[in-house]
Amino acid sequence: MSNGAGESASQRIELHGKRKLFRGNDFAYAVARMAVAQICESVEVNAYQESQSRDGVRFTSFQESALETFTDVAVQYIQSIGKNAHLYANIAGRVDGNSLDIVQALEDLGYGVGFAGVSDTDRCLADSGVVKDIARYTLEAEEMPFVYPLPRFPLNKDRRFAPSFSEAGAEPPDEHIPVWLPAFPVIKLCDRSEEINVGTIEGEIPSKENWSCLPSMQHSFDGGRLEVLKSLKDARESTEVVVEGNPFLTAPLRFAEKDVSPVFLPLEISNEVISINHVLDTHMSNNHHITVLEASAPSDKLNNKNRLAESEDGEKLNGTQQSLVRFKIGTMKRPTCLAINRFQEQVLFQGGVDMSETNSEMEEIDLQNVDSDVK
Amino acid sequence: MNHGQQSGEAKHDDDAALTEFLASLMDYTPTIPDDLVEHYLAKSGFQCPDVRLIRLVAVATQKFVADVASDALQHCKARPAPVVKDKKQQKDKRLILTMEDLSKALREYGVNVKHPEYFADSPSTGMDPAARDE
Repeated sequence: MSNGAGESASQRIELHGKRKLFRGNDFAYAVARMAVAQICESVEVNAYQESQSRDGVRFTSFQESALETFTDVAVQYIQSIGKNAHLYANIAGRVDGNSLDIVQALEDLGYGVGFAGVSDTDRCLADSGVVKDIARYTLEAEEMPFVYPLPRFPLNKDRRFAPSFSEAGAEPPDEHIPVWLPAFPVIKLCDRSEEINVGTIEGEIPSKENWSCLPSMQHSFDGGRLEVLKSLKDARESTEVVVEGNPFLTAPLRFAEKDVSPVFLPLEISNEVISINHVLDTHMSNNHHITVLEASAPSDKLNNKNRLAESEDGEKLNGTQQSLVRFKIGTMKRPTCLAINRFQEQVLFQGGVDMSETNSEMEEIDLQNVDSDVK
Repeated sequence: MNHGQQSGEAKHDDDAALTEFLASLMDYTPTIPDDLVEHYLAKSGFQCPDVRLIRLVAVATQKFVADVASDALQHCKARPAPVVKDKKQQKDKRLILTMEDLSKALREYGVNVKHPEYFADSPSTGMDPAARDE
């Protein structure tokens, strides 16, 4: 084994975390797993073959994959009992199942292995061999409750069904519908309310479209909750204006015709707000702030460079092409762009350097940068 | 007539036996918790407020798991013991529920579980921590 103990431990933890992720923090599954493990541990087989040891042999531990598979099978077993019992209850015209449904379901699942009296055609369900086997098992096997006390499952025990026609006191609309079926939901027919709904929806849309709510809400995360409330109030007030007629055919609103909450700058640009409110965040946001400003900077500088290149005769086309290319690379990767800019500045301040040389050098730098990007 | 009466009485006895068994389940606490069984039954669509029926399903599941586990245990025991270098390990013969035994046992119950060929469960599973360090 080449890997050390610590590495394997970390791998195990990782695996465990992954499994937890996949299982989706299934509490019920975890409980089922423990129950299955407990049952497996309780199973004992007497070793009669070996004369010297008559002690019972038990499983002492499990492969995790085996235990999980077994738990899956056990859960499937419970669920298929439930499905079959539900099916038989529904066939009999009932909603709730009774004991005979479960016995029938158990018999269905027991056909693969077989049980006493399976070949009898007219056997009684109450006298089923499966039930007898289970009764025998309860007598033989030691009673062993679950190891841990469990909190109550959040089960909705008294589920209410929709009231039937007879319970609701309503008469079914047609003769062919029996009274014990659940009553139809009440149908509301009102044209006016629909119109009002349409109006409010139409009113809501422009207040969302003008993007005033979002920055103001962003701002209010720093500033306080009052502004959120304000902006929401504004939005509500704006929705109260009901448009008459077809809202799609109304004339568009002019500027300043409708009161709109002022647009706040996003947090990245308005640096002061951040520096006041979040001292810890200033470091990060400052970094970001600088980069935002500098991201816009290269285009200006490159434009200046273009003008310079245009003033010279020979390098006109070449310079613009290169600057265009540089501009693209610079926006994609900021640090390289900064380096180029600094280089350009140096060149500009030094003066008297042949532009063709600098251009060729820059080409080289660009190529290197592109190479590094590719790598 | 007489025969019909007899069969009716027999049915009555069967009913009584079933009812008695269900009543006895109230005193029997299965290993699988009631809430768990009820949860999974509710998930499958079956609903019953009767605790005895939940217990019946719990006991049936417990019996199924125990049967499969005992079969797997038999398989595990029947397998020839691997060559062990240490005598210390030979002394404490630990039985581990492995995927192979489980799949063999489950096959008899109509569940086909194939052990993944290249899935390596941790070889140190089931050993005590002292043995794992070696």
